[in-house]
Order: sequence, then C-alpha cells, then structure tokens
Amino acid sequence: MNGTLIERGSSRSSWAFGPSGRHRDTLLLLGPCVAYLIVFSVFPLLYSLRLSLTNLTGSSTSGQFVGLENYRDIFTDPHFWGAAGTTALMVGSSVAIALVLGTALALFFGLNLRGSSIVRAVITVPMLITPIVVGVMWRALLNPDWGIVNWAIGRVGLPAINWLGSTDTALKTLVMVDVWQWTPFVFVIVFARLQSLPVEIFEAAQVDGAHRLAQLRWITLPLLAPAIALAAIIRGIDAFRSFDLVYGLSYGGPARVTTTLSFLDYQSGFDFQRYGFAAAMAYVMVVILVIATTVLLRLVQVRREDAVQ
Amino acid sequence: MSAMRRIVGRSIAYVVLLLIGLVGIAPFLYLLVLSFKRRIDIISEVPPTLHFDWAAIQANYNEIINYQGILTSLVNSVIVVGISTFLALVIGTPAAYAFSRLQFRGRDTWASTILSFRFMPAVAVAVPIYLLMKAIGLTDTYPGLILPYVAFSIPLVVWILIGFFDEIPTDLDDAARVDGCSRFQVLTRIMLPIMRPGLVVAAMFGAIFIWNEFLVALFVINSPEHSTITLTAATLVSAQRPIDWNIAAATGVVTVIPILLFSFVVQKYIVRGITSGAVR
Repeated sequence: MNGTLIERGSSRSSWAFGPSGRHRDTLLLLGPCVAYLIVFSVFPLLYSLRLSLTNLTGSSTSGQFVGLENYRDIFTDPHFWGAAGTTALMVGSSVAIALVLGTALALFFGLNLRGSSIVRAVITVPMLITPIVVGVMWRALLNPDWGIVNWAIGRVGLPAINWLGSTDTALKTLVMVDVWQWTPFVFVIVFARLQSLPVEIFEAAQVDGAHRLAQLRWITLPLLAPAIALAAIIRGIDAFRSFDLVYGLSYGGPARVTTTLSFLDYQSGFDFQRYGFAAAMAYVMVVILVIATTVLLRLVQVRREDAVQ
Repeated sequence: MSAMRRIVGRSIAYVVLLLIGLVGIAPFLYLLVLSFKRRIDIISEVPPTLHFDWAAIQANYNEIINYQGILTSLVNSVIVVGISTFLALVIGTPAAYAFSRLQFRGRDTWASTILSFRFMPAVAVAVPIYLLMKAIGLTDTYPGLILPYVAFSIPLVVWILIGFFDEIPTDLDDAARVDGCSRFQVLTRIMLPIMRPGLVVAAMFGAIFIWNEFLVALFVINSPEHSTITLTAATLVSAQRPIDWNIAAATGVVTVIPILLFSFVVQKYIVRGITSGAVR
C-alpha cells in the first residue's frame, strides 16, 4: 500500500498496479533485451576470458590450460609494445586533430551562410561509409604512380609523397584518413551544442563590447567544452578499437608501422589462428579501454545535463 | 569601405564553404570516375578525364556482377541487415521504453551497462563468437551472422530510442493506463505510432552499422555464396596483388551507394541519430 502511494507521488509516471505488477512490467519489457545480451555479448566475453588461459589454435581441436602464459607472452612481445605505441600515437593525434577541425567547422557553420545546410549534409556522409571502402578509396587517391592527390601537389610544385609506401609517412597517412572520416562526428556533436546555446548570451556579450576573439575564448569555447569533451571520449574509444580502416588502407604495413593493437589482435586471431593468444590480447585491450574511459570520465566530469544540450 | 570588407569577407567564407564540401565529396566522385575507366586508362590518364566509354563501364560492372558475384553479396547483405535490424528493434524498443518510463532499482546502472557494449572492440568478441557459432554449427549461415549482429546493434538502438521516448509526455501513458491499457498495450498501441521517427533513426543507424561490419563476417562466413557485400569488397581488395583498380572501385561504389541513398533520404534524422546515440 505504502509503496504504491509513494510511487504515485513520484514525478515520472503513475502506476495503476502495485509493485508486483511493476516488477512484471519491468521483467516483460527489459527481460528479452538483457537475456539476449547475456547470451550473445556477455557470454562470448566470459568465454573469451577462459580461452585466454588456453593455448587453443586453429589447428588444435582443444586447447590446454596454460594459466597466464599468454599474458606473459604478450607483455614480453616487442610487437605488442610496438603496436601499443602506434595505437597511442594514432589515437592521440587523430582525436586531437579531429577535435580542433570539428570545433572549427562547427563555429564556421555557426555563421549560417546561405546554402551551408547542403554542405553540412554532404560532410556527414564520410562517417557513415564502410571503413573498408574508405581505406581502399584513399589508397587510390594516394597512389604514388597515378593517384590524383600526388598529381595535384605536383601541379603546385611540391614533391610527390609516398603516402602509404614509406615508414615515415604511413602512420601520418592513416591519421589523416581517420581524421577525414571522423571530423564530421565531432562537428555534428559540437554543432548541436552550439545551436542549443541561447542567443541572449552572445547578444549580451556584444552589448558589453566584447571583441569577436575574446567572445570566442571566454564565452563560446567554455560553453562548448562539455560537448567537445564528450566527443573526445567517444572518438578516443572508437579510434582505439577501430580496425577496418587499417585493414583497407595499409594492412598494418609497411614494416608494421601502422599495426595498431586492434590490427595485431586481428592478425593473431585470423591470420595466425592463435585463438588463446588473441583472446588474451583482446582482454588486455578491454582492460586498457575500461581504465582509460574511467579516468577520462573522472577528469572531464561530463555532466549528463550538460552533454544532452 | 566597410561594405567592401563585408563583401570580401563573405566571398572568402563561401570559398571556404565550397572547399569543405569538396573535401567531403571529391573522394567519392574520384572512386566513381575510376569505376568507369579501363584498367589501362587508370594508370595512363592522370588525372582521369571526364570522357567516359560506355563499353568500359559495362565491362567493369559486368565483371563484378558475373565473376565476383556482387549481386549475391548484395542480396545476402540485405537479408542479414534487414532481419538483424528488425530483431534489434523488436528487442530494443521495449527495453528503451522501460528505461524511459519505469522506475526500478539500478535503472541507470543497467542502462549504462547496456550502452557500454557499444564500445566493445569487435576484435574482442570475434574469436569467441566464431568458436561459438562453430560449436552450434552455424558457421557460414545467415543466422551465424544475424545472432551476433542483433547483439551488436541493440545498445545503439536502445540508446537512440530512450531519447525519443523521453520526449513523449508521460500524460499520454497515464491517460491510456486509466483507460485500462497494460504497459505493453501502451507501448504497442499508443507509443509505436508516435515513435515512428525514432524507430526510423534507430533502424537506420543499426542498419548502417551492420552493413559496414566485416570482422565477424570474416570469421563466420567462408563461402562466396554467403558473403556480405562488405566482406566481398574486403576480400576482393586484400586478395589481389596487384589490385585491379577499376574492379575495386566499382565494388566500392556498389558497396556505398545504398548507404548514400539511404542517408540522403533520411538526411534530416542523421544529426538527430548521432547526437542522441552518442551524446547520452
């Protein structure tokens, strides 16, 4: 009785049934979803944990329990540390550049030029496109022999660049293509926030005679900060786990300079069929992801009401 | 003088706008142009001319249709994406409704746990899912792809839909409840018709995600007859040394055209989907 009364007073909704009906509703509505995820997401993850403690490979029918051997192998593998460094470089620079460009784009589109909505629609497309195809497409654009990019930079008198063929440039090229595909994502989130800001703030600043740049520095950017922080975290996680773009663009090469953790893990699992080892590396990745996300969320303190405009 | 400055400023802004649009779309146009060229022309015509030879276009697209089995892959993708998206909506919509309307212990924890699966690295689950599907004999079948794809898209669908449910006033629920509807009836009879835009957005993002997925397909599918379009595009390019660029370009075009069409049709919802799916 008591429970029903309290519930009726709560803000979100009222209940015609008592608590038991409520539980049944929750179970009925949420149960299938939770059950499905347990079977097809949680179970594979747990199964993978067990797998990471075995030496199962594609050619063995059943793996033997080897304890933490795979983890030891991973941490003593120079390829792992190489890939970890590559991943840190790639994620850090790709996210940083996309944030700067995405925010700049949002401010630019904030001018509301006539016809800009069409361009806005056009630039949301890259992030929806199959990453594999994006990789292949850029391989054509950047082809050292006949690609149009080298032709264009030759026309303005610059020397040709061996974008994907040289160990000096391949990782930078990967970052460039990743930035091309994902800057729109940052843009969309920051722009949504920008448009939700009340006009009065800017009007007041103008009345107070604030200079354009001062207004940007002291009013606009601080107000956009929650959206930028959120875009940074999501982009960081996605860049960390992304793998298709590397597959399509550079297949980890040349000389492993674009081999990220995701790609190395894929190779261990698919090319070398070392299932136990691959599962262990996947777990290392998940742990890095969880720790990084937790720390980042603490650092930036994204408050939900800020983020949701 | 100041009018002059304004005009110059405007012109510069429009040039920048044009350049932004060009950077966004030119790569696709280049791919399209390459797919219309002969193998030899791609190497010899730099930059490619806009002179097209109908026979070359036909030859390229005939080859991917007849020899690379692209039509089969397209049909496979449509089947897998269609069924997976539908199932994800059927399972995800009631869950999103519960998160938006019901008060229960640990609601926020459950909700963010479900969201966190959106961030799971595909490489972390590809091997266990492959072994699981092998154990129950579903490798190289549609269900072998559909079952994990539904799980992948549920978090996305749930989080997009919670946003849409939150916007519908609870008075509607209450009125229907007073009229004797059960929770489930409120959902199916009252909410679903109002929720159509939300369902479209959720379906669209789920569908694009599944259309683009290829790592799990790489593990689970091992015959061209069951290959999805993205998997076909990937294997075509990675298997060839050197690549036949006219064929690779044509495959790329066929792979992305459905996404392009789709995204232009539902353009007004795209921003909504990204912000509600991501910004929560």
